[in-house]
Amino acid sequence: MKGDKLLYYSLLPFAAVVIAAFILLFAVISYTSAPAIKEYGWRLFTSSAWSPSETGPKSSKYGLLAPLYGTLVSSIIAVILALPVTISTVLVIEEYAPPQTRDLIGSLIEIMAGLPTIVYGLWGLEVLAPILKVHVYSPLHQLLGFIPLFSCRPFSGYNILTAGILLAIMVLPYMVAVARDAYRSIPMTYKEAALAIGANRYEYAKIMMGMIKPGLIASALLGFGRAAGETVAVALVIGNVPLISSCLFKPGYTISSLIANQFSMAPLYPYMMNVLFTGGLILLIIGVAANSVAVIMISRSRLR
Amino acid sequence: MMDSRTIKEKAFLITIFILTLLGVTPVFYVLASVFYKGIEAFARRGLGILIKINGGILPALVGSFVLSILSTIIGVVLAFVAGLFVAEFPNSWVSKATRVASRSLLEVPTVLLGMLVYIILVVPTGHFSLLAGALALALVMLPYVMVHVEQALESVPQLYKEAGYSIGMSRAQVLFGVSVGIAKRGIASGVLMGFAKAMGETAPLLFTIGAARSSLPCSILSPGDAVPLMIFQYAQMPQEYYHDLAWAGSLVLVIAFLVVFFVVRRLVKEVRY
Amino acid sequence: MDHAIIVEKLNVWIRGNHVLKDIDLKVPQGSVTAIMGPSGSGKSTLLRSINRLVELVPGTRVKGKVMVFGRDIYSEDPYRVRKDVTMVSQTPNPFPHMSIYDNVAIGPKIHKLVKSKKELDKLVRWALEKAMLWDEVKDRLHEPPTVLSGGQQQRLCLARALALKPKILMLDEPTANIDPVNSKKIEEAIKALVRDEGITVIFVTHTPAQAVRVSDFIAFIYNGRIVEYGPSRELALNPTHELTEKFLRGEIG
Repeated sequence: MKGDKLLYYSLLPFAAVVIAAFILLFAVISYTSAPAIKEYGWRLFTSSAWSPSETGPKSSKYGLLAPLYGTLVSSIIAVILALPVTISTVLVIEEYAPPQTRDLIGSLIEIMAGLPTIVYGLWGLEVLAPILKVHVYSPLHQLLGFIPLFSCRPFSGYNILTAGILLAIMVLPYMVAVARDAYRSIPMTYKEAALAIGANRYEYAKIMMGMIKPGLIASALLGFGRAAGETVAVALVIGNVPLISSCLFKPGYTISSLIANQFSMAPLYPYMMNVLFTGGLILLIIGVAANSVAVIMISRSRLR
Repeated sequence: MMDSRTIKEKAFLITIFILTLLGVTPVFYVLASVFYKGIEAFARRGLGILIKINGGILPALVGSFVLSILSTIIGVVLAFVAGLFVAEFPNSWVSKATRVASRSLLEVPTVLLGMLVYIILVVPTGHFSLLAGALALALVMLPYVMVHVEQALESVPQLYKEAGYSIGMSRAQVLFGVSVGIAKRGIASGVLMGFAKAMGETAPLLFTIGAARSSLPCSILSPGDAVPLMIFQYAQMPQEYYHDLAWAGSLVLVIAFLVVFFVVRRLVKEVRY
Repeated sequence: MDHAIIVEKLNVWIRGNHVLKDIDLKVPQGSVTAIMGPSGSGKSTLLRSINRLVELVPGTRVKGKVMVFGRDIYSEDPYRVRKDVTMVSQTPNPFPHMSIYDNVAIGPKIHKLVKSKKELDKLVRWALEKAMLWDEVKDRLHEPPTVLSGGQQQRLCLARALALKPKILMLDEPTANIDPVNSKKIEEAIKALVRDEGITVIFVTHTPAQAVRVSDFIAFIYNGRIVEYGPSRELALNPTHELTEKFLRGEIG
């Protein structure tokens, strides 16, 4: 039909721009990081040195290991903290809360998702970190200092654990949204079946969570992806020191906060821009990989 | 006496209620801090900081305003039409590719979109500009708005499209006259949320707008400032004065966000980001 | 007698299912034909093949010929076809985002049937009167259709179709979802349209009583085939086929 073809071809260019934007993103980031990878090779990923020099690439030392470590650890902490809260919130909203409370919690979660990330960052910097240091980290260190995770003295509230806690708060609403979708896709008959065999609320919840396991994995993956890419909020609370330590009270760095802090100086040093883009490439790969696996999990979790 | 099974159930219920409470507490805490510290900042420095250029937040306000309008125009047009395409021709391979691309863009860290625009616009033109920032923000909001447009169109019952075809409407007439008309609330809420998203983003602006805050921008091609970026940089300054400005900026940002949120809430039942 | 519709060797497959098999049907101009049969027999698909709505379902294949006033509709622009052969669906579906007036006016507007606002007003009123709805809505033409009852909404859909001045009107179980009073009004409206305007009507029904009440001819369809076709009273009183007899007795359906 002629009209249909016309409609198709007049809308098509806009869709094509979306595809082109994504391809361009990949191309530009890969292309700009290539010189750094060529110059420094594997050292980029196996060292934590960061000493830029204006004289040339040979005298500069760049390593992304510590930021990569910080990105992974802070994001993993975020997901570990947020997952139990996610599961609880979904159960409370979908099963146990009276309708009005349910709507209230739902609205609060939506507001949480929409608040600008910089507001979380400022709050983390000026409110959360000082409180955590005095009321959580110091007691933890005194009581459980024999555990390596808490073995070092918390000199300030700005460390990997604070970044992880702040990220947990920030990714929670996304994780709830994904897990809630999965929960809602459970057909009524399965719920009835669980109740029909006499399950109490704990057993019932366990059966339901087993049923949406792929959805929960997707929720965790998407939360991880978001946490890994978060930039300004983390940059304000993590301390920005390229350290690798088993102690969570030590400051750290993440790839995105490294980019945020160093980008403005990068044009002054040879290869530094390329190194930062290599960091960007890692973030891109983490983001796309987490998303792709999550999409597969979500399609698997469709129970109807 | 309760048996162990009942005790387990009770303990479980108490645990999940406490965890849920723990989960939503931060939002109260954040909002309370922003309102308390923001109002305190205005009380200490005067409402005049809103309209002061040097030592005030006017350039950031103006920049944010220009950026959100400009990025909404670029992003919404693109997202709306691409969303129409994907919803109307879901089986075409271009649609499938577009879907994959937009879903991936949704999960790409926003700082990368700033880096992309830095290379394709800032480096070639040789300077930072509000336009570059708007382009980066448009890329941030594009997938959000697209998802909403798609979902709004997909939720239009087949029944009404059939009514359109039954009276001899063409496909374009059904799409624009029937589907878009019925889905307009969902589409409008998507647009508003894209706007809110663009307003609050920081990372894409780090390398695109140039943080020029000693004067007002004279055109969209000149460098400028934005409220989130100002907060990020002022928060790292040692002086109390700048921290106050950061909190004042946060208060403005949060109020603007809440206004958009409640407007959207009136349009649709559930708000999704 | 001239034929408004001639269907020849029509076969339709939907996702591999052979839904219509070798359908032959001649509908005389200015008559009312009821397509009657049990659910799932292909009644709706037959109706939708005559205005090509059937193509909206992905994976549909149509073979055969449908002639409307001598034109082979499958070699024409489907949108033109649907203007002349309009259809009212089973579930009332007035556009919820338009006023009652706009629902009726949209058809003439897009097909440019009128030149002035006055002419449009006249056409809208005519269509609403023919659908026996005018008196009930004349004071609230600019309210949304959601203020109307289901039966009124269905008559609004009838008016929306009539505003195109169609040569052929098709109705897919028009009274299946509404109350007896509204059903009666729709039946009366159909009879009046044929009598006064010479419109050719085809409608789908699964109740023999309605078929006899309203139609001149009945086509009984079973499992994708037309089992029997003839004048309504004759077919209802003396069915020649065993299946028709069984259906009329209520044994299948």
